[in-house]
Amino acid sequence: MTISRREVLKAGVATGTVLAIPSVLRAQKAPTDARTVRMVKVGGLTVFDPVVTTANITQDHATAIYDTLFSLDSKFVPQPQMVGKWGVSDDKKTYTFELRDGLGWHDGRPVTAADCVASIRRSFEAGGPGQLMMAQGADISKKDDKTFTIALREPLGVLTLMLSQYRYIMREKDADRPATEAVTTNIGSGPFRFNQSLAKPGASFAYDRNEKYVPRSEPSDGLAGAKIVNVDRVVWNNIGDQQTALAALHAGEIDYFEGPPPDLFADIESDPNLALEVLDKSGQDYFLRMNCLQKPFDSVKARQAVLHLVDQEAFLSVISPDPKYSSTVNSFFGSGNPVSNDENTGWFKKGGDPEKAKQLFAEAGYAGEKVVILDPTDWREADNASQLLAVALQKIGVNAEVAPSDWGGLVARRNKKGPVEDGGWSIFITSESDYSRGDPITDSTLSMNGEKGWYGWPKSDEYEALRAKWANVDTAERKALARKMQQIAWNLAGTVLLGRVISPIARRMTLTGLIGMPEVVPMWNMRKASA
Amino acid sequence: MAGYILRRLVSTIAVMAVVGIFIFLLLRLAPGDPAAMIAGKEATAEMIAGIREQLGLNAPLPVQFARWAGDMLRGDFGTSIFAGRPVLELIAQRLEPTVSLALMTMLLSVTVGVSFGILAAWRAGRLVDRLLTAFSALGYSVPVFVIGYFLIYLFAIKTHWLPVQGYVPIDAGLGHWFVHLILPTVTLSLGYIAFIARVTRTSMLEVLSEDYMRTAAAKGASSYAMLFHHALKNAGIPILTVIGISFAYLIGGVVLTETVFNIPGIGRLVVDAINNRDYPIIQSVIILTSGLYVLINLAIDLAYTLVDPRVRY
Repeated sequence: MTISRREVLKAGVATGTVLAIPSVLRAQKAPTDARTVRMVKVGGLTVFDPVVTTANITQDHATAIYDTLFSLDSKFVPQPQMVGKWGVSDDKKTYTFELRDGLGWHDGRPVTAADCVASIRRSFEAGGPGQLMMAQGADISKKDDKTFTIALREPLGVLTLMLSQYRYIMREKDADRPATEAVTTNIGSGPFRFNQSLAKPGASFAYDRNEKYVPRSEPSDGLAGAKIVNVDRVVWNNIGDQQTALAALHAGEIDYFEGPPPDLFADIESDPNLALEVLDKSGQDYFLRMNCLQKPFDSVKARQAVLHLVDQEAFLSVISPDPKYSSTVNSFFGSGNPVSNDENTGWFKKGGDPEKAKQLFAEAGYAGEKVVILDPTDWREADNASQLLAVALQKIGVNAEVAPSDWGGLVARRNKKGPVEDGGWSIFITSESDYSRGDPITDSTLSMNGEKGWYGWPKSDEYEALRAKWANVDTAERKALARKMQQIAWNLAGTVLLGRVISPIARRMTLTGLIGMPEVVPMWNMRKASA
Repeated sequence: MAGYILRRLVSTIAVMAVVGIFIFLLLRLAPGDPAAMIAGKEATAEMIAGIREQLGLNAPLPVQFARWAGDMLRGDFGTSIFAGRPVLELIAQRLEPTVSLALMTMLLSVTVGVSFGILAAWRAGRLVDRLLTAFSALGYSVPVFVIGYFLIYLFAIKTHWLPVQGYVPIDAGLGHWFVHLILPTVTLSLGYIAFIARVTRTSMLEVLSEDYMRTAAAKGASSYAMLFHHALKNAGIPILTVIGISFAYLIGGVVLTETVFNIPGIGRLVVDAINNRDYPIIQSVIILTSGLYVLINLAIDLAYTLVDPRVRY
């Protein structure tokens, strides 16, 4: 059998046509480039349920697809979001909430009070601040399809604030499960729908505009007000290599690049099509945590020695070298919060005093015990800071060594309370939002309830007694409380701050309208102009 | 031959079982906890403990192993701890980019590498040989990410001829698929071209110095006939071995290239899974890859019979 050239050409054309059909169909459905925003986020989205994780990227995902009963405005005041009307009884113990009109799930069903009741219960059972409410024996009940109540034994002034902070409302059938069992259906009632068919875990996720979403009538303000979506689709590309992400931004293949490393700032600023923008003005506070249960840091003097030893400017130079985006921070409650203060900071504020540190270690009876610093080598900033800390300790005669691992290894090991000889640890470095340090109720790292608390396990009953008052006092009283708590916190010295770092995002000039709030990047309000 | 193939196939299952036991134990003994990774940076110990219980990670190791081995025997590779999807579905999603990149790379590497090797051997000691040897040394020693970034700068950022990153599935259009693979293929191929060219040159030189080649030359055989009919066929076994090993390595995951060009392939799937301690993905990919290695080796062994009639099984 012979095949003519014409037959080969015919076969080629036919094959090409068949192969092109899916792309033609896709082209008919997919939004245009001008209506699609492509974002590169910090880290990959691996957990979809905001109740089981504290990861920021999951909060971003949840903020897109779920809605909240209340939302924080730009001044961090909770404002009704899903809630239409609400009120509190005269004794301040019973709250009644009525849902506003027009709320619907992405599967087409209406949002009901039963969904809210199940979601609040699950979210508060998850731990952290919610336990405060559950400890009060809160009774959360549905009254009718649109109304529910929360009845407390004692007044809780921070209730609406707690309902606004990442308390996402899920369908009753999703929320009706233990707080430790992850929800993966991704069906919410928020302004974006999660596009399941385009989801490629580890590679990319797509969020489509929820055409049925009814925004509030108030103007957008922080996370509150109208959530108006101006684009048809937002795609999260998980580009693991930052150099590649920057190249893609230059080439216009992506519109937004979160957390570019400081050494790329100059390159970004040199391109007239790109801009650096600070969305989270509160930034991240880097801090070290000592294991208060084991030698040598079971001694207050040894912990205070580290407070004297740390020179924040030196640490910032290895964490974020551009002084435009970093600053020292001395308040236990962060640097930009209403309760930030300078109580009890005079004695260590200058920092970088190795002689004083050496003297305090001696007074603590330090006898050469090994100090193990957990070093997450896959997190550049914390890795650099860990290395610097080890050198600083070694220089004053402390038997310090780093224990390198990836972050996964660190989080497993930091759970061990025993001595270093049994696989325990002495110090690890991490970071958290400066904004979240302003609230000791919602921030578990600010607790001092010993072994029941956060890693490092510092203990002060006096501090905890003051913390318990926080929920029911106004801002002026909180400021006074914060000063007293800080007095105790710095004397106890379980935590040492290393400095505050602000991370700008990089974007194409054509992408505008991004909302700046701490810890979360909402995707409504942004606009994309044609290049 | 059929008996030989059957024995090799049975040995594949044994290899996969041994690898499975080894990787299961290795992952459980290595530091790390998927529950802690799920819960996040600021999670409390209580949250993590709850998630561990939910995932069944508190069960004794033998119980966990028995559950996993039982599932594997039923052909159930498990569900990703993080994505909540069947592992095989995630692997299938990542297979096309990796296979596309591997095939394109092999096509380019074998074509160019073998040609360069033959040319260098034919012109041994001359300028062209020296140039090709220098090229081989360069291709062999320059890291993939350096080549990758350089090509991105030149062809994507400066000239805008090619895209910086990403992978477009073949069903989204042959043209888009091909264009997105050009830079990663060239980047990845340079090392393989150098490797294959060196092996081909050495192997060809050995054959070209044989008596029968001199006889052929004396009989007036053309250069083409000597190189391609007599020498290449006899030099084929080492070249085939190198090509087979290279292909197996490519399928196993070319993490750096996939990372630099943001190609969502098997390599990145495994690296992400290792970072997150997503045990079912790591175990499944490694077991399947080990099986694939054995099968590729079998294919190479069978291919020997095509180039060397003396080889019999």
